[in-house]
Amino acid sequence: MLSIAEIKRGLFSYEEATGGFIASFKSAGDLLKAAEKTKQANVKLFDCFTPCPIHGLDHAMGLNRSWIPVMTFLGGVMALILGLTYIWFIDVLNWPIVYGGKPFFSWPAYVPILFELTIYFAAVFTVVSVLVLGRLGFISRKIPVAGVTSDVFAIWLGDAGLSKSDVERILSGLPAQITEVKP
Amino acid sequence: MATEENVYHIGKPFAAMDDDVMRPIEAFPTKLWWGAFGISALAAAVGITTIVYSWFVGLGIFAINNPVGWGFFIVNFVFWVGIGHAGTLISAILFLFRQKWRTSINRAAEAMTIFAVIVAAIFPLIHIGRPWFVYWAFPYPNERGPLWANFRSPLLWDLFAISTYFSVSLIFWYMGLIPDFATLRDRFDRYKANSKIGAFLLQVKAVSYRVLALGWVGSAKTWHHYEKMVMILSALATPLVLSVHTIVSFDFATSVIPGWHATIFPPYFVAGAIYSGFAMVMTLMIITREVFKLKEYVTIKHLENMAIVILVTGMMVSFAYTVEFVMAAYSASHIEQYAFINRMTGPMSWAFWIMFTCNVVSPHFLWFKALRTNIKVLFVISIVVNIGMWFERFVIVIISLHRDYLPSSWDTYIPTWADYAVLIGSFGIFFTLFLMFIRTIPSIALAEVKADETNASLSHH
Repeated sequence: MLSIAEIKRGLFSYEEATGGFIASFKSAGDLLKAAEKTKQANVKLFDCFTPCPIHGLDHAMGLNRSWIPVMTFLGGVMALILGLTYIWFIDVLNWPIVYGGKPFFSWPAYVPILFELTIYFAAVFTVVSVLVLGRLGFISRKIPVAGVTSDVFAIWLGDAGLSKSDVERILSGLPAQITEVKP
Repeated sequence: MATEENVYHIGKPFAAMDDDVMRPIEAFPTKLWWGAFGISALAAAVGITTIVYSWFVGLGIFAINNPVGWGFFIVNFVFWVGIGHAGTLISAILFLFRQKWRTSINRAAEAMTIFAVIVAAIFPLIHIGRPWFVYWAFPYPNERGPLWANFRSPLLWDLFAISTYFSVSLIFWYMGLIPDFATLRDRFDRYKANSKIGAFLLQVKAVSYRVLALGWVGSAKTWHHYEKMVMILSALATPLVLSVHTIVSFDFATSVIPGWHATIFPPYFVAGAIYSGFAMVMTLMIITREVFKLKEYVTIKHLENMAIVILVTGMMVSFAYTVEFVMAAYSASHIEQYAFINRMTGPMSWAFWIMFTCNVVSPHFLWFKALRTNIKVLFVISIVVNIGMWFERFVIVIISLHRDYLPSSWDTYIPTWADYAVLIGSFGIFFTLFLMFIRTIPSIALAEVKADETNASLSHH
């Protein structure tokens, strides 16, 4: 069973990169190794910044499973139930009219509309969840180091009390360019 | 050896890719762009003026009459909705099938979907005669009743299908754009304006892209959710796109008009939609890659793959035509049989034979590798296919409607200037939107191209 703390950590894992150090790399392979080393060094507060999604990075960072599919499912099921209830209210309670000798509640005819409603709300729930869980919409946010939206792969280590020499030790052997982030 | 990975491998530094893709947005448009934009905008203006004029004088300026109540409106509607389907097929279905070649064409194809659906939606809107009452179609508690929409009507299903399709395509497209908007946002500090107006415009652009990028910084925690979302939206868009043209075909198939009342209609319409949609993507990509120097991203191999899809769906469409005739012959209904004899030999059989030549004959040139890797041949075939697909809808709507059960109610259909003006206008609106798109939005999905390159290099180590 999931504990409340685990759910919270899964939902709200995003942290703004303020303070701490940024190490940037020219290749994604080095970043993957850096993420693994950082996790092994038991750094709690860290994140990676990349111009594109990288296979295996979430595993290397030890990220929890994304909650997005659950939200998709909830959106779809909610739309299906509410939509069917609404149509039932209209066709059976509020305005019962016989069309073509069919019963008031002729569910096969409702399939296309309910299908479209389900897809629509599943998609909207998915996208809104990404905006909320991925902390998007803060338009004044600055990129932590130049180039992470172009060709730089960076890792941010933000634990309190971490010094530059600690970071150098954790990432030893990797061609990292380390800079301090001003809070 | 040419494995699948290295065929599509671009092998450029990422910064150079940024420059290539952003060039059309950051440079002043060429004369060619202005020329194309001028012609498109003029055509759009002709169409929009005619539509607005029809609101003052009524639908009488169009050729719709008693048996042919749908006329050009529904021909154009089905044509444009069909065009849209290739975009979703490329962005969602080919994604689920792990087809790497989709990456560099999916952005433009999705844009095409959105513009095509916008253009398609115009036609039912004019056709209802009083478009300002269109919201009556939505089932909301109102002061007219109780009076509700009919949930058993395929026309209402269609309203839901098209609205859902448009909204989901739009949010899918926009979410895909966010990382590229961020790339664009972070390039603005390298520009200096040399006049006050220039500086102001630069500021407006910089702020717009900053807002559109939604504060994207490429955090792995955001990518983690984002990647899941792309997968889920693809999985949702796949049945959605198949449902849309299925429901469009229900508009016909659930009626009792001879030639329409057939169970083959849903798969037949979906195959036709993909056929015409791919032809339109081909036309647009050939122009875009030539004009904006993106030949390294959209290669001959990409065009050849699209040509194969056109060949396959073209044969599916041909098969559906044959099945329709067999069903009529086997139906023992002389009215159904007459509908198909009338298609081939009646007063409007020229439309049928144009459709037949363009859709059934022309794709077979693509069997030959020399022809399907020849840009000029592909460009001509892509246009011919779309002419054929427009005539297919003309045949289905107009030839079927103009002669049904009672010879006493037969009539003909002669399009008026207004019908042609709105048809030209629909192409004008579509191309105007597309030309504005390539000037303001990265026309290649950069983050996805980079992801393919990165992950290919990672798996080699």
